[in-house]
Amino acid sequence: MRRVIISVLGPDRPGIIAATARILFDNACNIENVSQTILQNEFSGIFIVTTPAELGIGDLNERLRQGLAPLRQHVFVKAVSDAPPVFDTGGSEPFVITTRGPDQKGLVARITEVIARHGVNVTNLQAVFRGGEAPGDNIMIYEVDVPPETDAEELQQDLRERARELGLTISIQHRRIFETINRV
Amino acid sequence: MLNQQEILSTLEMVQHENLDVRTVTLGLSLLDCGSDDLGRFCDNIRQRIGSLARDLVKVCDQVGQKYGIPVVNKRIAVSPIAVAAAGFDRSQMVTVAETLDGIAREVGVDFIGGFSALVQKGIARGDRALIEAVPEALARTARVCASVNVASTRAGINMDAVLLMGRVIKRAAELTADRDGLACAKLCVFANIPQDIPFMAGAYLGVGEPDAVINVGVSGPGVVKKAIDRALAGGASLDLGRISEIIKRTAYKVTRVGELIGREVAERLDIGFGVVDLSLAPTPHVGDSVGEIFQSLGLLSIGVPGTTAALAMLNDAVKKGGAFASSHVGGLSGAFIPVSEDLNIGQAAGDGHLCIEKLEAITSVCSVGLDMVALPGDTSEETLAAIMADEMAIGVINRKTTATRLIPVPGKKAGERAFFGGLLGESPIMAVNNAGGQNRFVRLGGLIPAPIQSLVN
Repeated sequence: MRRVIISVLGPDRPGIIAATARILFDNACNIENVSQTILQNEFSGIFIVTTPAELGIGDLNERLRQGLAPLRQHVFVKAVSDAPPVFDTGGSEPFVITTRGPDQKGLVARITEVIARHGVNVTNLQAVFRGGEAPGDNIMIYEVDVPPETDAEELQQDLRERARELGLTISIQHRRIFETINRV
Repeated sequence: MLNQQEILSTLEMVQHENLDVRTVTLGLSLLDCGSDDLGRFCDNIRQRIGSLARDLVKVCDQVGQKYGIPVVNKRIAVSPIAVAAAGFDRSQMVTVAETLDGIAREVGVDFIGGFSALVQKGIARGDRALIEAVPEALARTARVCASVNVASTRAGINMDAVLLMGRVIKRAAELTADRDGLACAKLCVFANIPQDIPFMAGAYLGVGEPDAVINVGVSGPGVVKKAIDRALAGGASLDLGRISEIIKRTAYKVTRVGELIGREVAERLDIGFGVVDLSLAPTPHVGDSVGEIFQSLGLLSIGVPGTTAALAMLNDAVKKGGAFASSHVGGLSGAFIPVSEDLNIGQAAGDGHLCIEKLEAITSVCSVGLDMVALPGDTSEETLAAIMADEMAIGVINRKTTATRLIPVPGKKAGERAFFGGLLGESPIMAVNNAGGQNRFVRLGGLIPAPIQSLVN
């Protein structure tokens, strides 16, 4: 048995997950984790599966490619490393960084540059750029893990400074406030 | 993973609807600071408050920043000084007030409450000394708040104390005549005062409370108003049952914020957490008003027919939401209707929509009472006492807290404006009708007995 990760990418339509799961089942693979999302009209799915030892990664890739070709999906398969994670989230505090303001090229790059410089990991990013005249409609939401060794005050200052340069309003809040307010 | 809606609605509440933690109030017992030497007593309380409150402001700001929710005010509430300093006389009590004022300034809190006495059934020597010291104490200090509980459902109404408070209020106004009687804005007269109010001017630490405790006051009239407006603008036909549900859910969210912040402040200060007081407490800013909620509910203004029913629904929904959100809800928890502190309510008084009689009526269903009501400067102490007695009766009979903060503005008449500054706001002076002639009733004195607890019709 070994673990592999499969990504499936292509235009959204009914049957993509069904077809993928069918191929995996026919090849005696077991799905451990799935995450999928639809961005505009594009489907993206990530599957972590265990495969029988005799099934090669190349073979599985080929079978998926052929099986999903009628659905115009691109497939990529690779082995999952058993090495310990590169980034240790132990002791990290989850924060949510939200920006609003006029759209321009390079917003994500320039915000994430600051986040990365402080050794902070983005765990989820949602960005909605609708363009147009209402800057309030352009929103980026970064869920991040701030490790204990990061100087939170300096991170906040740098982010606020960057937001000022970009003409964005920014909020940096511990994730717990959103859970506390919205969930029973 | 959080969903977009959860994040955006929360941001909206903070950035555009004035959601904040109105106050984190550190309750501190001074009951073991006693001494028969005034200097030593003042040293003791200085040391006690200084050591425990030193980091209050800093920690509140840190926690506020962490969650992106501002903690607007940091305050201290102490044991009733009439008990803690029972051996001292009137002028010594003034020195105690000045000491409290100095400590409050040193630790950076804007108000310190607890210059208080509980006299619902009788006035002890320390109580009398404190009450008589109140006018001078409040005139000579900036941050000290005083409260006197003159009635309770179990004791009745101490009419001697009520009359005495009429005199005290008049004197306090005279001593601050150059500031429109500002001292009176820092003095509450209560029936059924709770022991854990974090809001000023009524905050004090009850004798049944621990050595130190963190109580939190959350507000959010703007959040409630916007939630109602959004729901109504959504086009769905909403009846009052649905609107009440919306208010309840909103109150739930606001209360949760308060408890989260309060618990973290308490933990960092290594002090126990007490209660969240969810009270819709307005400030004199547009969008942070209880009065505006009445207009969202379809009334022309607070004060017009329908106001009492609307406020009853609002107050009850707020309490229900708060009670579901936290098992430790206390203080006043409901809706405040302070006339000068709420732009919209002040406006209603100026426009003639809200008169003092209607205000009194709606206090039977709000969480406090005749709050921040500016009255003509020539209102007699008897009339003040009579207005207070009426308000106390509402609380005593209905087993609820009621209070008054009445300000007879020296030298000004009904219709003129009084200015108190800052959060205390400004308002037109409300007319007191039918107050001519002697009021022998309040001069009869004694105790109005505690009410019967059955035959509740």
